[in-house]
Parts: sequence; structure tokens; C-alpha cells
Amino acid sequence: MHFHKFLLITVIFLVSCGQKKPVHEYKDFIFGTIVDIKIYGETEDKSENISNLIFNDFKYLHNYLHPWEKSLISSMNKTLASGDKFHVDDKEILHIIHENKILASASENYFNPAMGKLISMWGFHQDAPEQNVPSSDKIKDFVANMSTMDDLHINQTTLSSTNKNFQLDLGGYAKGYALDRAKKILATNSISNALVNIGGNIMAIGMHGDRKWVVGIQHPRKPSAIASIELPSGWSIGTSGDYQRYFMADETRYSHLINPQTGFPADNSQSATIMIPPAKNSGTLSDVYSKPLFIAPKLKKGQLADKLGINFFMIVLADGNILISSKMNQSIRWLEKNHEQIISIH
Amino acid sequence: MSKLFQFIKIIRPGDAFIIISFLAIIFWAISRSWNMPSGQYLKIESNFEDPIIFSLNQSANKNISGFLGSSVISINEGKARFVKSPCTKKYCIHHGWIDKVNQTIVCLPNQITISIVGNSESYDTVNY
Repeated sequence: MHFHKFLLITVIFLVSCGQKKPVHEYKDFIFGTIVDIKIYGETEDKSENISNLIFNDFKYLHNYLHPWEKSLISSMNKTLASGDKFHVDDKEILHIIHENKILASASENYFNPAMGKLISMWGFHQDAPEQNVPSSDKIKDFVANMSTMDDLHINQTTLSSTNKNFQLDLGGYAKGYALDRAKKILATNSISNALVNIGGNIMAIGMHGDRKWVVGIQHPRKPSAIASIELPSGWSIGTSGDYQRYFMADETRYSHLINPQTGFPADNSQSATIMIPPAKNSGTLSDVYSKPLFIAPKLKKGQLADKLGINFFMIVLADGNILISSKMNQSIRWLEKNHEQIISIH
Repeated sequence: MSKLFQFIKIIRPGDAFIIISFLAIIFWAISRSWNMPSGQYLKIESNFEDPIIFSLNQSANKNISGFLGSSVISINEGKARFVKSPCTKKYCIHHGWIDKVNQTIVCLPNQITISIVGNSESYDTVNY
């Protein structure tokens, strides 16, 4: 009799171990990429409502900040290019421009959102890039008059530009900024456990039950993850890679990550991943600061990471070797064992 | 035979209790995993249809409607790929087969993703 009771209790115990609280997942196509939201431990109705709030906010942002379709930014670019002043009384856009000035300057302009015209010359102002290498003369001309955020002047609500090449392109900023907005929406609606992924830019809020959220880091040349890492609450992770938006011409890969110093796509890295601790603009930083680490010359990368205060980074260099910070190396779990790779710890 | 008899003789009620309990747990665990298909699944997501999960243990072509039109996804004994797509660049088709858990192909123009899902995912999302 006792045996039966014990067995029954054992079975019930084991079955209950296997039960988990649900994770509700929603996807949408925004910012020209996939947005994926996971919400843990809430009802399906609430999860769906809040996800839709976030999707709608992202759609609004996308239309508002779009670099080449009709948006506030594209009309600003047109007006400034014609030499006129642009009036904007929108506090948010002024904040965004101000923040872009600060971030560009901190990154020594390796993050340069002012060179939309160059990105467009390379054909990346289309959803599917053409295989079109611009003439080197055209690029040289542009680089000689390289536009930076310093060319944009703000006088209260009036913007003016002192460089004809100036064209704002927030493609390296908008997704990160959207993450920071999603964080606010989740907080106002008292969602305490969620994972938001906008085309690979990810922010974690809370946990997945009794464990942290886990993120796989894409291998730049294989259709699988190279490593995985736990993303604590409030942290963001972002990657810049040459394997999503690029074209091949004469067996050379031309990615959308263009080096402002040469005018050509940066070719010393395959991917750069950074992790940013909780901060008001953690999402923004995880998007923006992966660019300088991707683009800067190999020997400059570590120094730039120190200057920008990035303690967690991993860069897959063009030759497949990996440059990783010691903190990242302590947290990462390698999934891909490749003995040919040399991993140097910064 | 006599040894087995001796062994049974030295078993005390407590020993029997533990042996039977463990046998029961093993039996339960085996029967549970028996019911679970060993293969993995293909998850197809489109903005125009509800997500669908197919067993990978089949050979079949699936028509899925997307933003531009209908894409055809082929499942062939453990692996899957895009075979037809109305998009212009056909990156999704050139990608070829996927067969491992968490591998994903995204067709952005037609807004369809296919991914291999398994019984245990080693991470929640992918950073790319």
C-alpha cells in the first residue's frame, strides 16, 4: 500500500517538474526585418495586446525615421541638400539628432549617420541591394568632402547644414532606439519578463522563469549559432555583420557597413557583437556601437572599445580569427568548436 | 539458482521498496519518451497565415502564402528548403537545405520564415 502511494507521489512530482509557464511569441516584419517578441508568464490576451502596442510603435518609428522612403528624415534631407533651413518643432527628433551627434563624435565618426548619400551611392538605399560598385573617383570625391554630424547645426528648432553631402541615415540607430522605447512600453504595462528582438538587436527584460534569457550569436558564415550567452535583465546585445545586407561582385563581398575613412565597405571583420549593461539608452548603444568595432582597423578596435566603455565584445575578423574581451569570454558558451580559429582575448 | 535465492532472501522490505520504485521510474521515463517523436519539426511562419509546424519525417511540398504571393517549401526526410518564391533575389532558395535545430531561413521580401525546431532549444532567440 505504501509502495503505491510513494510511486504516485514520485510520478506526480516528476510530471510537475516538466510543466512550464507559457512563453507567448509574436512576430512582425518592420524596419525591413523581423521583429520577434517573447513574453513570459502572462496571459495570452495581455501578451498579444502589449506585443501589438510595441509593433505599432515600431511601425510609427519606421515611417518617421525612414532614410529613403517618405518620412520626416527624408524631407529634412531634401530641404538641407537644397541649402535651405529646416524647421522642426518635434522634441523627439531634436533629441535623436542631438544623441546622434554625441555618439558619432564619441566613436571618432566610425559611426557616421551623416553619410546617407554614400550609403545610397553603394545601392543600400533599397530593400534588396543592386550589385553596383560605384566608380572610385566618385567615392574619392565624396570622402574628400565627407559629411559628419558636425556639419549639422541646431539653432533651437532650426536645422542647417554646411556640407552639401550631408544626408542623415538612422539605419544604424533606429532599431536600437526602438528597443529603448519597447522597454518603456513593457514597463508601463507592468510586463516584467520579455525578450525583444529587432533584426538581431535584442533586449532582455526580467527572466525566462527561473533562468536568464539566452541568446544565440549567429555564425557569420554558417547557418547556425557560433556561441550562446545569457542576457541579464535590462541588458542589450547587438551585432554588425557583413552577411545580411551585402552584394557580391567579382567574387568580392561588399557589405552595407561602409568605412567613412575610405568610402568603401569595411572588410577587416565578418561580425562584431557587443553587450551593453542596463542604461536608459542601452538598446541604442548596442545598435550604434557595434558599427565602430566592426569598421575600425584591427589594431584600433580594442582601444576604441575601451574609449566607448564597451566591456563585452566579440569580433569575428575577416580571416575567421576571433577578438574577444575577457569579460565576454568569461560569459560566453561556445557552440561551434573550430580548432583553426585563434581566439585572442583583449 | 541457489545464489539468486540467497540474494532474494537478503532483500529487506526497504530494498524492495527502492528497487521497485526505480523500476517504476525507469518504466515511466521510457514510456514517456516512447510517445515523443524522435524527429524534429519545421516551423513555417508567415504574416499571412498562422504559424504551422510540420514533421520533418516526410517528403512533401508545402504552399505558403506571403506578402508577394505563394512560396513553396520542400520537406525531405529531416531537412527543408525553399524551392519556389516570388521574390526577386531568391536568396531564400539559394540558401539551400537546413536540418539542424534553430537553423532558420528568412525570405524578407515575401515575409516568410522557416526554422527547424526541436524538443529542446538551447537558446531563446538569435542575435545576428
